[in-house]
Amino acid sequence: MTGIGRRLRRRPPKYSAAALAWRGMRGDYWPRVWRDTELKSSYDAVVVGGGVHGLATAYYLARNHGITNVAVVDKAYLGSGASGRNTAIVRANYLTPEGVAFYDRSLQLYNSMALDLNINVMMSERGHLTLAHNDSSLRTMNWRAEVNKLQGVNSSVIGPDEIKKIAPALDTSSHPRYPILGALYHPPGGIVRHDAVVWGYARAADYMGVEMHQKTEVLDILCEGGNGPDGKGPGGKVVGVRTNRGDISTPVVVNCTAGWAGLISAMAGVRLPITTHPLQAAVTEPVKVFLPTVVVSGSLHVYISQTDRGELVFGAAVDPVATYSIRGSLEFTEELAGHVLELMPGISRMRLLRQWSGLCDMTPDYSPVMGFTPVDGFLVDVGWGTYGFKAAPVSGEQMAEAVATGRTPKLIAPFALSRFDSGELVGEKGAASVGH
Amino acid sequence: MTMSRLGPQPTEVLDRSTKLRFRWNGKRFDGFEGDTIASALAAAGEHVFSRSMKYHRPRGILTADYWDPNLMVQVGDDPNVRAGNRLLEAGMDVRAQNVWPSLHRDIKAANSLFGRFLTAGFYYKTFMRPAWLWPTYERVLATFAPGGKIDLDTPHRYHDKRYTHPDVVVAGAGPAGIEAALAAAAAGARVLLVEHEHAVGGHLRYSSSDSDQAVLAELRAALDASEVEVLTNSTVTGRYEDNWLGIVQRNHPIAVERLIKARAKVLVAAPGLIERPYVFSGNDRPGVITSGAARRLINLWGVKPGERAVVFTANSEGDAAAADLDRVGVEIAAIIDGREGKRVSSAQGSSRALGAVVAGGNRIEADLLVVAAGWTAPTSLLNMAGDRPVHDPATARFFPSDPPGNVLATGGLAGDGTLDELRAHGAATGRLAAQRAAAVAHRLQAMTARARPVDGDEPAWAPDERTPLGRDPHPELYRSDTHGMVDFSEDVGSKDLVAAAHEGYDSVELAKRYTTSTMGPSQGKLETVNTVAAIAEARGETIAQVGTTVWRPPYAPLTLGALAGRVFEPVRVSSIHPWHEANGVSTIIAGQWMRPDHYGDPAAEVRNVRTNVGLIDVTPLGKLDLRGPDIPKLLNLLYTNKWSKLPVGKVRYGMMCAEDGVVLDDGVTGRLGEDHYLMTTTSSGAGGVWEWVENWLQTERPDWKVHVTPVTTAYVSINVAGPKARELVGRVTEGVDLSPDAFPYMEVRLATVAGVDGCFMWRIGFTGELSFEIHAPSGHGLHVWEALMDAGQDLGVGPFGLEGQRIMRLEKGHFIVGQDTDGLTLGPSTGLSPLIKLDKDDFAGMPELAWAADRSLPMIVAIQPDDPNVVPDEASQIVRGNTNEILGRITSARMSPTLGRSICLGQVEPELAAGGTKVTVLLTSGERVSATVMDHHAHFDPAGERLRG
Repeated sequence: MTGIGRRLRRRPPKYSAAALAWRGMRGDYWPRVWRDTELKSSYDAVVVGGGVHGLATAYYLARNHGITNVAVVDKAYLGSGASGRNTAIVRANYLTPEGVAFYDRSLQLYNSMALDLNINVMMSERGHLTLAHNDSSLRTMNWRAEVNKLQGVNSSVIGPDEIKKIAPALDTSSHPRYPILGALYHPPGGIVRHDAVVWGYARAADYMGVEMHQKTEVLDILCEGGNGPDGKGPGGKVVGVRTNRGDISTPVVVNCTAGWAGLISAMAGVRLPITTHPLQAAVTEPVKVFLPTVVVSGSLHVYISQTDRGELVFGAAVDPVATYSIRGSLEFTEELAGHVLELMPGISRMRLLRQWSGLCDMTPDYSPVMGFTPVDGFLVDVGWGTYGFKAAPVSGEQMAEAVATGRTPKLIAPFALSRFDSGELVGEKGAASVGH
Repeated sequence: MTMSRLGPQPTEVLDRSTKLRFRWNGKRFDGFEGDTIASALAAAGEHVFSRSMKYHRPRGILTADYWDPNLMVQVGDDPNVRAGNRLLEAGMDVRAQNVWPSLHRDIKAANSLFGRFLTAGFYYKTFMRPAWLWPTYERVLATFAPGGKIDLDTPHRYHDKRYTHPDVVVAGAGPAGIEAALAAAAAGARVLLVEHEHAVGGHLRYSSSDSDQAVLAELRAALDASEVEVLTNSTVTGRYEDNWLGIVQRNHPIAVERLIKARAKVLVAAPGLIERPYVFSGNDRPGVITSGAARRLINLWGVKPGERAVVFTANSEGDAAAADLDRVGVEIAAIIDGREGKRVSSAQGSSRALGAVVAGGNRIEADLLVVAAGWTAPTSLLNMAGDRPVHDPATARFFPSDPPGNVLATGGLAGDGTLDELRAHGAATGRLAAQRAAAVAHRLQAMTARARPVDGDEPAWAPDERTPLGRDPHPELYRSDTHGMVDFSEDVGSKDLVAAAHEGYDSVELAKRYTTSTMGPSQGKLETVNTVAAIAEARGETIAQVGTTVWRPPYAPLTLGALAGRVFEPVRVSSIHPWHEANGVSTIIAGQWMRPDHYGDPAAEVRNVRTNVGLIDVTPLGKLDLRGPDIPKLLNLLYTNKWSKLPVGKVRYGMMCAEDGVVLDDGVTGRLGEDHYLMTTTSSGAGGVWEWVENWLQTERPDWKVHVTPVTTAYVSINVAGPKARELVGRVTEGVDLSPDAFPYMEVRLATVAGVDGCFMWRIGFTGELSFEIHAPSGHGLHVWEALMDAGQDLGVGPFGLEGQRIMRLEKGHFIVGQDTDGLTLGPSTGLSPLIKLDKDDFAGMPELAWAADRSLPMIVAIQPDDPNVVPDEASQIVRGNTNEILGRITSARMSPTLGRSICLGQVEPELAAGGTKVTVLLTSGERVSATVMDHHAHFDPAGERLRG
C-alpha cells in the first residue's frame, strides 16, 4: 500500500515544531486546511458524508489508487455527525478472528496516522480495561484473552490487585453489588482525538485534489435503468447526485453516512436493514488527571476515559427506542452517574458539564454493511452501529479498493449487503455489544 | 487594584455581626455571614484567584457571580467550586487550583513567553517526531489539564431526589419572573419559582435606587403571601421532552446537592441576561471587571472594587455602576461612552494588577476598569425545547424565535423596557402560562387511564396576546481595535479564532472544536457571542450568517452525586438465606443475587446427591406466571418447539432463540390449569426474558389475551435431588401421590408441603437424579426448607450449592445458556435440532434458523481429556495440532467426583463434532493436551434412567 500514482496538487505546508515557530515569529496564518471551492458539474466519484469514513475513503482513493477527481459532500460541516460525537476509543481485542484481523489493521493505521497524515491525532495508547463483575463475564474475558493471544493481540485477564494499580480510582473492594472480579486488559487500546482524524484525512485528501464540500446536502441520487421509479433500484446504475448546490454527474456514489444511511440509500432505490438509534454521551468538568486508562463495564453499560484536558468522557449503550431525535435525556445522565459512582465512588463531587447524543445505524447482526449494492456504481459503507470510529481507517482503505478495482476486497467480503438475503449473518455481537 | 470593605451598605446581604474564619491557600482570613468566598477574599484585598489554563496568567474577579470563569477554587475535597456563588462557611479550606508551586509564583506562567507559538490547536501540528517521544509529550500536555483535584476517598454523602408535578415552573426570579409566578399562582396554578442566585430579585438586588428597592420589597412580600414555592440557589439545568425538567438545588439542608425532577405543564424562562465581556488587549487582567460585578461587589457585599476607575459603558447598567462607584468614593478617572463610538483599547499594568487604561489614544492611570459592553441572552432552555435563537444586530443580542407553546419567555430574554413594562410582561406571561397549564392539565386528566373523570371540554389553547417588550438599541460591541481574550476558561483569544477561521475552521462548530472556545466550564455563557463575532469578522459576515453553537444541557453543571441520587442497588437473597449463612455457606454473586456456591466441600455434596438426597436453593430461577387463553400461541412464538397440545399437569422443556437465531434462553414451562402456565427461565435471563415476552405482547401481538406476572421472588424454589428424593418429599407432602406411575417425570402437581398450601412441584432435574422441584410461597420458604432437612436426617439429606449443581449438570451434559453458548451460538449448535420445528407457522428466529439448517455449524460437544487428571481452564482453545488455528474451545470443565476424571463441554467446528474425534486442547498455560470428543453430551447416565426413576 504505497503511494501508487500519487498526484500531489501542491506541496502541503508541513506541520512541525519548527514551522510553528517560524509562523509564530512572522505572525503568519496557516493556509487553509482544505480548500473552499465551487462545486463542479462532474466527478469520478462522490462520497456522501464528510465524517471519518467518507474522508478516509476519499483519502485512500487518492493516495492508494490515484483517483483524485472526487467530491466529499456533507450537509453540515466536516465531522458534524457521529465522527465528532463518539467517545474516540480504539481497540482490537475482538472475539472472532475476522473481527480481530479487521480492527487490528485499523489500530495499525491509527498508530501510524500522525506521521502518515502529518497531523497529531493524539493517539493515546493508554490501555483499555473491560471489567468483569461476575463469574460469567470473567469467563468471557478469559475467552477473549485466549483468542487474542493466538491472534497476536496483546490482551490478558488481570485480577483486582493489578486493576487497582492501573486505575486506583476503581473500587476493587469486595463491593457487594458489582464487585470487580477481574478485567480484560488490552494495553494497545486507547483514545484518539477524533476531530483531528477528520481534519487530518480532509487535509491530506485535499492536497491530493479531493474536494470537500460542506453545507452541501444530497437531495437525490440520479439513476437510470433500474426496475424502480425514475430508473432507481436493482439493475440500475448511478449517473449523478442532486444537491442543494446543483446537480453533479458521476458514475460512482459511496454512501458513508451514519444516521441517514437508510434515507440516502433509498434515494438510489436500495433498501437497507437498518434501524437508527441515538447513543448518548456526556462529559464532566476538568479535574487534574487521575484516570490513566480506558475503563469499560458491560454489565453497567458504561465506558469512561479521561482526556488530556482532564474531562471525563462517558458513553453508554444505544437508547432502546429507534428515533432520529438527538436530544439527550435526563434519565441517561442519572443512570450514567449511578453506574459511574458504582465503579468510582470517590468522584461524586465531579460535575457533569455537557451531554449530547449521536445517531447509530444498527443492523440485525451488529455488523456493518460494506461494498457493492444491486445498483451499479452505488456503494455503501454504513450500519456501523456504535463502533464506526474504531474502524474508520481500515474501512476507508477497503472501500477505496472496492471503488478502484470494482471487486470486493477479502477483508470486507463478510459484510456484503447480500448476506441478508442468504442468511450468512456475521457475528461480532458478542464482542460488539460490549460496546467500547 | 486594591479592594477593601466599605461601611455598611443599605442593600447589602451581610450579617456583619457574624464573623466567619476560613483558610485561603493555607492562610487565615475572615469574612462575614452572607459573603461568598470571592467577596470575602476581595474585601480582604485579594485580587488574584486563579491562573489561566494555558498561559497561567493571573486572573481576578470578572463577573463576581456563578459564571465567573476566574473564580474556580478547590474547597476541601470539592473541586471547581464557583467562589463567586458559594457562600462562605466557617472553617472552609479554600485553595487555588492548578497552580504550582503557588498561586503567586506559578512556574507555568513562563508559557506566556511562548504565546505566539502556542496558538489554538498548536498541539495538532507538533509532537509528532520522534514518534517514540509522544507518550512523554502526552504526559506533559496532561499536566496542563485545568481544574481541581479529586480526592478518591470522597464519600458519596447523602443525596436524594424529589419528584414534582407543578403546573408552571418559572426559571429565574427577577422582577419579570416573580410577576409571572405571582400571576400564574393568582390564576390558580401550582407554581415553582426557581432562582439561580441566593435570593430572589434579579438585578434589583444590587440596585441602589430607592424605587427599585421598594419594588423588590413589594415583590418579596407578595411572594411570601402567595402559594408560590420558591427555590433559591437552584437552577433549572435542562428542559427535556414534554417539559420534563431537571432542577438542581444547591442549598438543601442535608443533601450536598439535590436533583429535582419536575414535569411542568408550562415552563416560563426568565433567566435575565448575562453581561458579556468586551474583547481588547489585556481584558483578562485582574482589575478589569464587568459593570454587574462592580455593582454586586458594592451593593451586596460592601466591597470597594478599587480606588481609581475607568468606566467603559454602553448602557444604563454601566451608567449605574459609575454612579455606584462614585457614591462609595471610588475616583472616576474617566467615563468612556460606547454609545458615542468610543472604545477602550487596552488594559495595561503589571501581570497582577491594572495600572492604566488606553482609550482613544489616551493613557489613563487607573486600578479598575469597569466594562458594560452588552448582553448575552441565555436562551439555553429554549434551545433545548427546539428553538433556534435569532441575532438582532440593533440590540446586539440573540432573541428567541419560535419556541413551542408550552415554553414562554419573559424578562430580558424577551426584550427591554422600564421596570413597570418588564413586570407587566411577566404578569401577562404568568397568566398565559396558567391558562395553558389548565388546558394541558385537562388533556392529561382526560387521557390518563384510571384518572378521575374530568368534567367539561378542554379549555381552548390560550392565544399569546401579550404586549411584546420593546428592544433598546445597543451598539454592537464585541471586539475593540485590539485583540484580547474571548474564552477565559479555555484561554482562547480573538487572535486564535481569527487564525482558525483563516485556516479553514471557519464555521462556528469547527472553530469551537479546533480552538476549544466555549467548551470550558462556562459553556459559552460569557464567550459564545464573542466567539461567533470573531469568526464573523474574519469571514466578513454577520453574526446571523455565522449562527451560533447549540446550547446543550445542563445549563449549570451539577454533581454526579446529585444525578446518581441515593444508591439503590439492592442485593437479592432468598428467604432461606439465613439458614445458608448459619450452615457455613460460601456465596457466589449471580446477577443481582447472592447464591449458595457450596457449604465447604462441593465434591462431597455431589456424592451425597448421587447416593442419598440433597437440597439446593434455586430461588433465582426466573418464574413468569402466565394466564389467558392465548398462552399456547405465545409459547409457540417464543420457543422453537411446539406447545399447542401440552396437557394440564405436564411440563415441557423449551429453547428460545432471538431473531438472529442465537440461543437466548431455555427452561421448562408447565401447564397448571386450563389457562394458567408457569414459565421458568434461566436465573440470569429472568429479567431479559420478561422484557422479551412483554415486548412481543405489547408491540407485536397486542391482540393476544395473555397476562404475564413475574413471580421469581414470590416463590422460593427448592430442588430435592437424589435416589432418596421421593422418600423425603413424601414425608412432608400431602395430597399428592408421588409414585412413579401417578407422578411421572416431566409432570407438575399442586401440593401442600410441610403444611404450606399453594405449593407446586414438578419432576425435572438439572442434576440427572430423581428430582422434585418445589416452589413454595416465599414467606414459608425457610420453613419448607427446614422441614425437609428435619424430615430427611435419617436419609442423609444435606444441602448442595451451585458448584455441586454445575458439576452434576456437566456430568449429565446439560449446557448452560451464556456459558456453553455465546452471542454467536445458533440454535442447532446446541444439538437440540429436533426441538427446532421449522414446520411451525412462525417463531422468533425462524428465518435465520431455516437458513442455518442447511449449513454446518460449530457444535456443542462433550469432551474428555485423554489424561483424566487434566482439567482445562474454561476458555482453553481447541486448535489444529501445533498451529494457532482455532477450531473451538472448552466452555465448561470440572473434575467429576462421580467418574473420577475430568469432563468438559466445548464448542468445536463441525469437522470435529463426531464422537471419537481426537482434538488438541491448548491449555491457558500454553501446554497442548489431547482429548476426545464423546458420542453423547452426557458423561454419566446417558440413558437417563436415574432421573426417570
